Amino acid sequence: MTNNSGVARFSRRAVGVLALTAVPAFLLVNSAVAQNAARMARNSSGDNAGPSDKDTRPYDKHDFNGLWARNPLPFNQPACPECRDNGPVSYGWFGDIPPLTPAGQKKFDMNHPSKGWEAGSKEALAHPNVAEGYRKAVPPGLGNDPEERCEPLGAMRLVVFSGGNAAMHIVQNKEVLIQRFEWTWDNREIWTDGRGAPKVEDYLPRYNGYSIGHWEGDTLVVKTVGLDDHQWVDAFGYPISDQAVFEERYERPTPNRLRVNLTLTDPLTYTRPWHSSTKVWALIPKEAMSLANWSGIVEDRCIPADQGAARELEERAIGKTK
Amino acid sequence: MRNHFTKLFALIAFLLFVSAPVWAHHGTALSYDTAHVWSTWATIVEFNYINPHPSMTFERTDRNGNVERWVAEGSNNPSQLARAGWTKSRSVEALKPGTKVKLYVATARAGGFVGVVMKIENEKGENLVGERTEITAVDLDGVPGGYQPGRDGGK
Repeated sequence: MTNNSGVARFSRRAVGVLALTAVPAFLLVNSAVAQNAARMARNSSGDNAGPSDKDTRPYDKHDFNGLWARNPLPFNQPACPECRDNGPVSYGWFGDIPPLTPAGQKKFDMNHPSKGWEAGSKEALAHPNVAEGYRKAVPPGLGNDPEERCEPLGAMRLVVFSGGNAAMHIVQNKEVLIQRFEWTWDNREIWTDGRGAPKVEDYLPRYNGYSIGHWEGDTLVVKTVGLDDHQWVDAFGYPISDQAVFEERYERPTPNRLRVNLTLTDPLTYTRPWHSSTKVWALIPKEAMSLANWSGIVEDRCIPADQGAARELEERAIGKTK
Repeated sequence: MRNHFTKLFALIAFLLFVSAPVWAHHGTALSYDTAHVWSTWATIVEFNYINPHPSMTFERTDRNGNVERWVAEGSNNPSQLARAGWTKSRSVEALKPGTKVKLYVATARAGGFVGVVMKIENEKGENLVGERTEITAVDLDGVPGGYQPGRDGGK
Protein backbone atom coordinates (compact mmCIF):
# COMPACT_ATOMS: atom_id res chain seq x y z
CA MET A 1 0.00 0.00 0.00
CA THR A 2 1.31 3.44 -0.82
CA ASN A 3 1.27 6.37 1.56
CA ASN A 4 -1.60 7.88 -0.39
CA SER A 5 -3.67 4.75 -0.08
CA GLY A 6 -2.95 4.79 3.65
CA VAL A 7 -4.33 8.28 3.85
CA ALA A 8 -7.33 7.33 1.74
CA ARG A 9 -8.05 4.39 4.03
CA PHE A 10 -7.63 6.77 6.95
CA SER A 11 -10.22 9.07 5.38
CA ARG A 12 -12.73 6.33 4.51
CA ARG A 13 -12.68 4.96 8.02
CA ALA A 14 -13.08 8.45 9.37
CA VAL A 15 -16.34 8.74 7.45
CA GLY A 16 -17.58 5.65 9.25
CA VAL A 17 -16.54 7.01 12.59
CA LEU A 18 -18.28 10.27 11.86
CA ALA A 19 -21.46 8.56 10.81
CA LEU A 20 -21.60 6.82 14.14
CA THR A 21 -20.64 9.80 16.27
CA ALA A 22 -21.94 12.93 14.61
CA VAL A 23 -25.54 12.81 15.84
CA PRO A 24 -24.82 11.89 19.47
CA ALA A 25 -21.97 14.38 19.47
CA PHE A 26 -24.28 17.10 18.21
CA LEU A 27 -26.76 16.28 20.95
CA LEU A 28 -23.96 16.17 23.51
CA VAL A 29 -22.59 19.54 22.50
CA ASN A 30 -25.99 21.17 22.51
CA SER A 31 -26.72 19.64 25.86
CA ALA A 32 -23.41 20.97 27.16
CA VAL A 33 -24.20 24.42 25.83
CA ALA A 34 -27.57 24.36 27.56
CA GLN A 35 -26.01 23.16 30.80
CA ASN A 36 -23.38 25.89 30.57
CA ALA A 37 -26.07 28.49 30.11
CA ALA A 38 -27.94 27.13 33.11
CA ARG A 39 -24.78 27.15 35.22
CA MET A 40 -24.00 30.70 34.21
CA ALA A 41 -27.52 31.75 35.11
CA ARG A 42 -27.10 30.18 38.53
CA ASN A 43 -23.72 31.82 38.91
CA SER A 44 -25.14 35.23 38.20
CA SER A 45 -27.65 34.72 40.97
CA GLY A 46 -24.83 33.70 43.31
CA ASP A 47 -26.57 30.49 44.25
CA ASN A 48 -25.04 27.73 42.23
CA ALA A 49 -23.90 25.38 45.01
CA GLY A 50 -25.91 22.69 46.58
CA PRO A 51 -28.53 21.62 44.07
CA SER A 52 -26.92 18.24 43.46
CA ASP A 53 -26.26 17.58 47.15
CA LYS A 54 -29.40 16.16 48.72
CA ASP A 55 -27.80 15.37 52.08
CA THR A 56 -29.99 16.80 54.83
CA ARG A 57 -27.91 15.73 57.81
CA PRO A 58 -26.94 18.48 60.26
CA TYR A 59 -23.45 19.90 59.85
CA ASP A 60 -21.26 22.80 60.97
CA LYS A 61 -21.18 25.54 58.34
CA HIS A 62 -17.89 26.81 59.81
CA ASP A 63 -16.12 23.46 59.53
CA PHE A 64 -14.26 23.00 56.23
CA ASN A 65 -12.09 20.10 57.36
CA GLY A 66 -11.85 17.29 54.87
CA LEU A 67 -10.92 16.18 51.39
CA TRP A 68 -12.46 18.14 48.55
CA ALA A 69 -12.57 17.59 44.80
CA ARG A 70 -14.27 19.34 41.94
CA ASN A 71 -14.72 16.07 40.14
CA PRO A 72 -16.08 13.49 42.58
CA LEU A 73 -16.55 10.76 39.98
CA PRO A 74 -13.04 9.23 40.24
CA PHE A 75 -13.81 8.66 43.91
CA ASN A 76 -17.10 6.91 43.16
CA GLN A 77 -19.09 9.77 44.63
CA PRO A 78 -22.28 11.28 43.17
CA ALA A 79 -21.77 13.69 40.30
CA CYS A 80 -21.51 17.40 41.00
CA PRO A 81 -22.51 19.28 37.83
CA GLU A 82 -22.15 22.65 39.51
CA CYS A 83 -18.53 21.84 40.40
CA ARG A 84 -17.44 22.22 36.81
CA ASP A 85 -16.23 25.60 35.67
CA ASN A 86 -18.43 27.33 33.14
CA GLY A 87 -15.58 28.99 31.25
CA PRO A 88 -14.90 28.39 27.59
CA VAL A 89 -11.86 26.21 28.23
CA SER A 90 -11.44 23.91 31.22
CA TYR A 91 -10.48 25.22 34.68
CA GLY A 92 -9.63 28.87 35.28
CA TRP A 93 -10.53 32.06 37.10
CA PHE A 94 -13.14 33.14 34.50
CA GLY A 95 -15.85 35.64 35.41
CA ASP A 96 -15.89 39.12 33.91
CA ILE A 97 -12.30 39.90 32.95
CA PRO A 98 -11.60 43.62 33.37
CA PRO A 99 -9.60 45.62 30.84
CA LEU A 100 -5.88 45.62 31.51
CA THR A 101 -3.91 48.75 32.33
CA PRO A 102 -1.06 49.60 29.91
CA ALA A 103 1.41 48.01 32.35
CA GLY A 104 -0.83 44.99 32.74
CA GLN A 105 -1.24 44.64 29.00
CA LYS A 106 2.53 44.70 28.54
CA LYS A 107 2.94 41.82 30.99
CA PHE A 108 0.04 39.92 29.50
CA ASP A 109 1.54 40.20 26.02
CA MET A 110 4.76 38.66 27.31
CA ASN A 111 2.95 35.63 28.72
CA HIS A 112 2.52 32.71 26.33
CA PRO A 113 0.22 30.05 27.79
CA SER A 114 -0.10 26.49 26.52
CA LYS A 115 -3.68 25.89 27.56
CA GLY A 116 -6.83 27.11 25.92
CA TRP A 117 -7.43 27.40 22.21
CA GLU A 118 -4.33 27.60 20.11
CA ALA A 119 -3.58 31.02 18.67
CA GLY A 120 -4.79 31.17 15.09
CA SER A 121 -6.67 27.87 15.34
CA LYS A 122 -10.16 27.44 14.00
CA GLU A 123 -11.54 27.37 17.54
CA ALA A 124 -9.77 30.62 18.37
CA LEU A 125 -10.84 32.31 15.16
CA ALA A 126 -14.41 31.14 15.67
CA HIS A 127 -14.59 32.91 19.05
CA PRO A 128 -13.29 36.45 18.45
CA ASN A 129 -15.35 37.80 21.34
CA VAL A 130 -13.93 35.39 23.89
CA ALA A 131 -11.20 36.91 26.07
CA GLU A 132 -7.80 36.82 24.43
CA GLY A 133 -6.22 34.70 27.16
CA TYR A 134 -8.36 31.74 26.22
CA ARG A 135 -7.33 31.81 22.57
CA LYS A 136 -3.61 32.56 22.53
CA ALA A 137 -2.10 29.17 23.44
CA VAL A 138 1.16 28.00 21.91
CA PRO A 139 2.86 24.59 22.15
CA PRO A 140 4.72 24.18 25.46
CA GLY A 141 8.04 24.22 23.64
CA LEU A 142 7.32 27.80 22.58
CA GLY A 143 5.51 29.01 25.70
CA ASN A 144 6.51 30.31 29.11
CA ASP A 145 3.79 28.99 31.41
CA PRO A 146 5.42 28.66 34.86
CA GLU A 147 3.65 25.33 35.31
CA GLU A 148 5.47 23.90 32.31
CA ARG A 149 8.75 24.58 34.13
CA CYS A 150 7.62 23.26 37.50
CA GLU A 151 7.68 26.74 39.00
CA PRO A 152 5.26 27.44 41.87
CA LEU A 153 1.70 28.03 40.73
CA GLY A 154 0.87 30.64 43.35
CA ALA A 155 -2.15 30.90 45.62
CA MET A 156 -4.71 32.00 43.06
CA ARG A 157 -3.87 29.34 40.53
CA LEU A 158 -3.72 26.65 43.20
CA VAL A 159 -7.23 27.53 44.31
CA VAL A 160 -8.82 27.72 40.87
CA PHE A 161 -7.15 24.53 39.67
CA SER A 162 -7.46 22.42 42.78
CA GLY A 163 -9.94 19.69 42.28
CA GLY A 164 -9.84 19.81 38.50
CA ASN A 165 -8.19 16.48 38.65
CA ALA A 166 -6.17 17.05 41.76
CA ALA A 167 -7.87 17.14 45.13
CA MET A 168 -7.53 19.58 48.03
CA HIS A 169 -7.20 18.77 51.71
CA ILE A 170 -8.29 21.29 54.33
CA VAL A 171 -7.04 21.09 57.89
CA GLN A 172 -8.65 23.66 60.14
CA ASN A 173 -8.72 24.73 63.74
CA LYS A 174 -9.78 27.97 65.40
CA GLU A 175 -6.47 29.69 64.69
CA VAL A 176 -5.56 28.63 61.21
CA LEU A 177 -6.85 26.87 58.11
CA ILE A 178 -4.35 25.00 55.98
CA GLN A 179 -5.11 24.18 52.37
CA ARG A 180 -3.06 21.34 50.96
CA PHE A 181 -3.04 20.96 47.21
CA GLU A 182 -2.38 17.65 45.52
CA TRP A 183 -0.98 19.00 42.24
CA THR A 184 2.51 20.35 42.96
CA TRP A 185 2.07 19.20 46.59
CA ASP A 186 1.82 22.78 47.77
CA ASN A 187 0.08 24.33 50.76
CA ARG A 188 -0.99 27.67 52.13
CA GLU A 189 -2.02 28.98 55.51
CA ILE A 190 -5.00 31.20 56.26
CA TRP A 191 -4.70 32.64 59.74
CA THR A 192 -7.96 33.20 61.61
CA ASP A 193 -6.37 34.16 64.94
CA GLY A 194 -7.23 37.82 64.58
CA ARG A 195 -3.87 39.04 63.33
CA GLY A 196 -3.70 41.86 60.83
CA ALA A 197 -2.10 41.93 57.41
CA PRO A 198 1.69 42.25 57.28
CA LYS A 199 3.24 45.64 56.74
CA VAL A 200 3.37 45.85 52.99
CA GLU A 201 6.60 47.85 53.09
CA ASP A 202 8.31 45.10 55.08
CA TYR A 203 7.11 41.88 53.55
CA LEU A 204 8.91 39.64 51.18
CA PRO A 205 6.45 38.67 48.45
CA ARG A 206 5.56 34.99 48.49
CA TYR A 207 3.96 32.83 45.87
CA ASN A 208 1.12 32.02 48.23
CA GLY A 209 1.17 35.43 49.88
CA TYR A 210 0.06 36.22 53.42
CA SER A 211 -3.55 35.29 54.17
CA ILE A 212 -5.84 36.28 57.01
CA GLY A 213 -9.46 35.25 57.43
CA HIS A 214 -12.51 36.22 59.47
CA TRP A 215 -16.12 35.10 59.59
CA GLU A 216 -18.99 37.21 58.32
CA GLY A 217 -21.97 35.11 59.30
CA ASP A 218 -21.37 31.74 57.66
CA THR A 219 -18.89 33.13 55.15
CA LEU A 220 -15.16 32.89 55.71
CA VAL A 221 -13.66 36.01 54.15
CA VAL A 222 -9.98 35.64 53.30
CA LYS A 223 -7.70 38.46 52.29
CA THR A 224 -4.27 37.76 50.81
CA VAL A 225 -1.51 40.26 50.11
CA GLY A 226 2.21 40.01 49.44
CA LEU A 227 1.87 37.88 46.32
CA ASP A 228 4.91 37.25 44.14
CA ASP A 229 4.26 38.78 40.74
CA HIS A 230 5.85 35.94 38.77
CA GLN A 231 2.63 33.96 39.11
CA TRP A 232 -0.27 33.95 36.71
CA VAL A 233 -3.89 34.23 37.81
CA ASP A 234 -4.66 30.95 36.06
CA ALA A 235 -3.39 28.92 33.13
CA PHE A 236 -4.18 31.59 30.56
CA GLY A 237 -1.41 34.13 31.09
CA TYR A 238 -3.21 36.81 33.07
CA PRO A 239 -0.61 38.62 35.20
CA ILE A 240 -0.60 40.29 38.62
CA SER A 241 1.60 42.88 40.30
CA ASP A 242 3.02 42.53 43.80
CA GLN A 243 0.36 45.03 44.90
CA ALA A 244 -2.46 42.61 44.09
CA VAL A 245 -5.06 41.86 46.77
CA PHE A 246 -6.75 38.48 46.54
CA GLU A 247 -10.09 38.04 48.34
CA GLU A 248 -11.89 34.73 48.79
CA ARG A 249 -15.34 34.22 50.25
CA TYR A 250 -15.86 30.60 51.28
CA GLU A 251 -19.14 28.98 52.26
CA ARG A 252 -20.33 25.46 52.96
CA PRO A 253 -23.94 25.70 51.73
CA THR A 254 -24.73 22.01 52.18
CA PRO A 255 -22.95 19.17 54.00
CA ASN A 256 -21.05 18.01 50.93
CA ARG A 257 -20.29 21.23 49.08
CA LEU A 258 -17.75 23.99 49.54
CA ARG A 259 -17.87 27.05 47.34
CA VAL A 260 -15.84 30.19 46.91
CA ASN A 261 -16.14 33.46 45.06
CA LEU A 262 -12.87 35.22 44.28
CA THR A 263 -12.01 38.85 43.70
CA LEU A 264 -8.68 40.17 42.45
CA THR A 265 -8.01 43.84 43.03
CA ASP A 266 -4.84 45.01 41.34
CA PRO A 267 -5.00 48.60 40.03
CA LEU A 268 -1.51 48.34 38.56
CA THR A 269 -2.67 45.53 36.27
CA TYR A 270 -6.46 45.78 35.89
CA THR A 271 -8.73 48.78 35.55
CA ARG A 272 -11.28 47.39 38.00
CA PRO A 273 -11.64 44.41 40.36
CA TRP A 274 -11.97 41.02 38.70
CA HIS A 275 -14.70 38.79 40.12
CA SER A 276 -14.34 35.09 39.31
CA SER A 277 -17.02 32.60 38.50
CA THR A 278 -18.04 30.55 41.54
CA LYS A 279 -15.87 27.52 42.31
CA VAL A 280 -17.52 24.51 43.95
CA TRP A 281 -15.97 21.39 45.48
CA ALA A 282 -17.55 18.14 46.63
CA LEU A 283 -16.63 16.54 49.94
CA ILE A 284 -14.94 13.19 49.44
CA PRO A 285 -15.07 10.67 52.30
CA LYS A 286 -11.61 9.75 53.50
CA GLU A 287 -12.08 6.08 52.74
CA ALA A 288 -13.09 6.92 49.16
CA MET A 289 -9.84 8.78 48.46
CA SER A 290 -7.41 5.97 48.89
CA LEU A 291 -4.46 4.62 46.95
CA ALA A 292 -2.13 1.83 47.99
CA ASN A 293 -4.28 1.40 51.07
CA TRP A 294 -3.41 4.97 52.10
CA SER A 295 -6.15 7.58 52.39
CA GLY A 296 -5.65 11.23 51.51
CA ILE A 297 -4.38 13.34 48.65
CA VAL A 298 -1.41 12.03 46.73
CA GLU A 299 2.02 13.59 46.49
CA ASP A 300 1.67 14.78 42.92
CA ARG A 301 4.76 16.90 42.61
CA CYS A 302 6.06 18.52 39.48
CA ILE A 303 9.62 17.21 39.23
CA PRO A 304 11.92 19.53 37.25
CA ALA A 305 14.13 16.71 35.98
CA ASP A 306 11.16 14.74 34.69
CA GLN A 307 9.46 17.86 33.40
CA GLY A 308 12.69 18.77 31.63
CA ALA A 309 12.61 15.46 29.81
CA ALA A 310 9.01 16.05 28.80
CA ARG A 311 9.84 19.56 27.65
CA GLU A 312 12.73 18.25 25.58
CA LEU A 313 10.36 15.79 23.94
CA GLU A 314 7.85 18.54 23.23
CA GLU A 315 10.53 20.78 21.76
CA ARG A 316 11.42 17.91 19.46
CA ALA A 317 7.75 17.51 18.67
CA ILE A 318 7.52 20.99 17.21
CA GLY A 319 10.89 20.83 15.51
CA LYS A 320 12.63 23.23 17.87
CA THR A 321 15.33 20.68 18.62
CA LYS A 322 16.35 17.42 17.00
CA MET B 1 -9.64 15.88 -1.33
CA ARG B 2 -7.27 17.58 1.07
CA ASN B 3 -10.01 19.95 2.26
CA HIS B 4 -12.39 17.04 2.73
CA PHE B 5 -9.74 15.18 4.69
CA THR B 6 -8.96 18.19 6.84
CA LYS B 7 -12.61 18.82 7.66
CA LEU B 8 -13.15 15.22 8.66
CA PHE B 9 -10.29 15.25 11.07
CA ALA B 10 -11.06 18.66 12.45
CA LEU B 11 -14.44 17.27 13.45
CA ILE B 12 -12.91 14.12 14.94
CA ALA B 13 -10.48 16.27 16.90
CA PHE B 14 -13.39 18.34 18.17
CA LEU B 15 -15.26 15.22 19.22
CA LEU B 16 -12.21 14.01 21.09
CA PHE B 17 -11.89 17.42 22.71
CA VAL B 18 -15.45 17.62 23.95
CA SER B 19 -15.34 14.08 25.28
CA ALA B 20 -12.03 14.47 27.11
CA PRO B 21 -12.88 14.30 30.81
CA VAL B 22 -9.62 15.49 32.30
CA TRP B 23 -7.22 18.35 32.24
CA ALA B 24 -3.65 17.57 31.28
CA HIS B 25 -0.99 19.03 33.50
CA HIS B 26 0.62 20.60 30.52
CA GLY B 27 -0.35 21.57 27.03
CA THR B 28 0.57 18.30 25.36
CA ALA B 29 -2.14 18.52 22.75
CA LEU B 30 -0.52 21.55 21.16
CA SER B 31 2.75 19.74 20.48
CA TYR B 32 1.26 16.79 18.65
CA ASP B 33 -1.08 16.30 15.74
CA THR B 34 -4.00 15.10 17.82
CA ALA B 35 -6.35 15.68 14.90
CA HIS B 36 -4.87 12.59 13.24
CA VAL B 37 -4.76 9.81 15.79
CA TRP B 38 -3.64 6.51 14.27
CA SER B 39 -3.02 3.03 15.60
CA THR B 40 -0.24 0.55 15.22
CA TRP B 41 1.07 -2.62 16.76
CA ALA B 42 4.33 -2.08 18.60
CA THR B 43 6.72 -3.61 21.09
CA ILE B 44 7.59 -1.84 24.33
CA VAL B 45 11.29 -1.08 24.74
CA GLU B 46 11.08 1.09 27.84
CA PHE B 47 8.31 2.56 29.99
CA ASN B 48 8.75 5.14 32.76
CA TYR B 49 5.97 5.92 35.24
CA ILE B 50 6.86 9.57 35.90
CA ASN B 51 5.28 12.95 36.47
CA PRO B 52 3.76 14.86 34.82
CA HIS B 53 3.24 12.18 32.16
CA PRO B 54 4.71 8.71 31.67
CA SER B 55 7.23 8.29 28.89
CA MET B 56 7.98 5.31 26.70
CA THR B 57 10.11 4.01 23.89
CA PHE B 58 8.58 1.52 21.48
CA GLU B 59 9.43 -0.18 18.24
CA ARG B 60 7.21 -0.91 15.29
CA THR B 61 8.00 -2.71 12.08
CA ASP B 62 6.77 -1.38 8.76
CA ARG B 63 5.62 -3.54 5.91
CA ASN B 64 9.08 -3.43 4.37
CA GLY B 65 10.59 -4.96 7.47
CA ASN B 66 12.19 -1.77 8.69
CA VAL B 67 12.11 -1.25 12.45
CA GLU B 68 11.21 2.21 13.68
CA ARG B 69 12.09 3.23 17.22
CA TRP B 70 9.72 5.86 18.62
CA VAL B 71 9.84 7.97 21.78
CA ALA B 72 6.57 9.14 23.25
CA GLU B 73 4.80 10.46 26.29
CA GLY B 74 1.52 9.23 27.70
CA SER B 75 -1.53 11.46 27.90
CA ASN B 76 -2.49 10.63 31.49
CA ASN B 77 -0.85 11.77 34.70
CA PRO B 78 0.29 9.12 37.24
CA SER B 79 -2.22 10.23 39.88
CA GLN B 80 -5.04 9.88 37.35
CA LEU B 81 -3.71 6.50 36.32
CA ALA B 82 -3.39 5.29 39.89
CA ARG B 83 -6.93 6.36 40.72
CA ALA B 84 -8.13 4.47 37.67
CA GLY B 85 -6.41 1.37 39.07
CA TRP B 86 -3.20 1.71 37.08
CA THR B 87 -0.76 1.88 39.95
CA LYS B 88 2.96 2.06 39.27
CA SER B 89 3.62 -1.63 39.88
CA ARG B 90 0.67 -2.73 37.76
CA SER B 91 1.58 -0.33 34.93
CA VAL B 92 5.25 -1.26 34.85
CA GLU B 93 4.31 -4.94 34.80
CA ALA B 94 1.76 -4.41 32.03
CA LEU B 95 4.27 -2.55 29.86
CA LYS B 96 7.47 -4.39 30.59
CA PRO B 97 10.04 -4.49 27.78
CA GLY B 98 9.09 -6.86 25.00
CA THR B 99 5.32 -6.54 25.51
CA LYS B 100 3.33 -6.39 22.29
CA VAL B 101 0.71 -3.66 22.36
CA LYS B 102 -1.60 -1.74 20.11
CA LEU B 103 -0.93 1.97 20.45
CA TYR B 104 -3.12 4.92 19.53
CA VAL B 105 -0.65 7.62 18.60
CA ALA B 106 -0.63 11.29 17.66
CA THR B 107 2.59 12.12 15.84
CA ALA B 108 4.69 15.15 16.73
CA ARG B 109 3.80 18.16 14.66
CA ALA B 110 7.35 18.30 13.39
CA GLY B 111 7.05 14.68 12.31
CA GLY B 112 9.59 11.97 12.88
CA PHE B 113 9.33 9.12 15.33
CA VAL B 114 8.05 11.21 18.24
CA GLY B 115 4.51 11.21 19.54
CA VAL B 116 2.00 11.09 22.33
CA VAL B 117 0.33 7.76 23.10
CA MET B 118 -3.33 8.35 23.80
CA LYS B 119 -4.48 4.79 24.35
CA ILE B 120 -2.88 1.37 24.80
CA GLU B 121 -4.42 -2.06 24.24
CA ASN B 122 -3.08 -5.54 24.68
CA GLU B 123 -3.50 -8.39 22.23
CA LYS B 124 -6.90 -9.20 23.75
CA GLY B 125 -8.10 -5.67 23.05
CA GLU B 126 -8.09 -4.75 26.74
CA ASN B 127 -7.22 -1.21 27.80
CA LEU B 128 -3.79 -0.82 29.43
CA VAL B 129 -2.35 1.99 31.58
CA GLY B 130 -4.99 4.53 30.79
CA GLU B 131 -8.51 5.55 31.64
CA ARG B 132 -9.58 6.73 28.22
CA THR B 133 -11.48 4.25 26.16
CA GLU B 134 -13.40 6.45 23.75
CA ILE B 135 -10.54 7.39 21.44
CA THR B 136 -10.90 6.29 17.86
CA ALA B 137 -8.11 6.11 15.34
CA VAL B 138 -7.30 4.92 11.87
CA ASP B 139 -5.24 1.76 11.60
CA LEU B 140 -1.86 2.48 9.99
CA ASP B 141 -0.10 -0.64 11.16
CA GLY B 142 2.78 -1.35 8.82
CA VAL B 143 2.64 2.04 7.09
CA PRO B 144 6.13 3.53 7.19
CA GLY B 145 6.22 6.38 9.69
CA GLY B 146 2.56 5.91 10.58
CA TYR B 147 0.91 9.28 10.09
CA GLN B 148 3.45 12.00 9.33
CA PRO B 149 2.00 15.55 9.38
CA GLY B 150 4.47 16.96 6.87
CA ARG B 151 3.98 14.08 4.44
CA ASP B 152 0.32 13.25 4.84
CA GLY B 153 -1.11 16.69 5.55
CA GLY B 154 -2.37 17.78 8.92
CA LYS B 155 -1.39 20.85 10.86
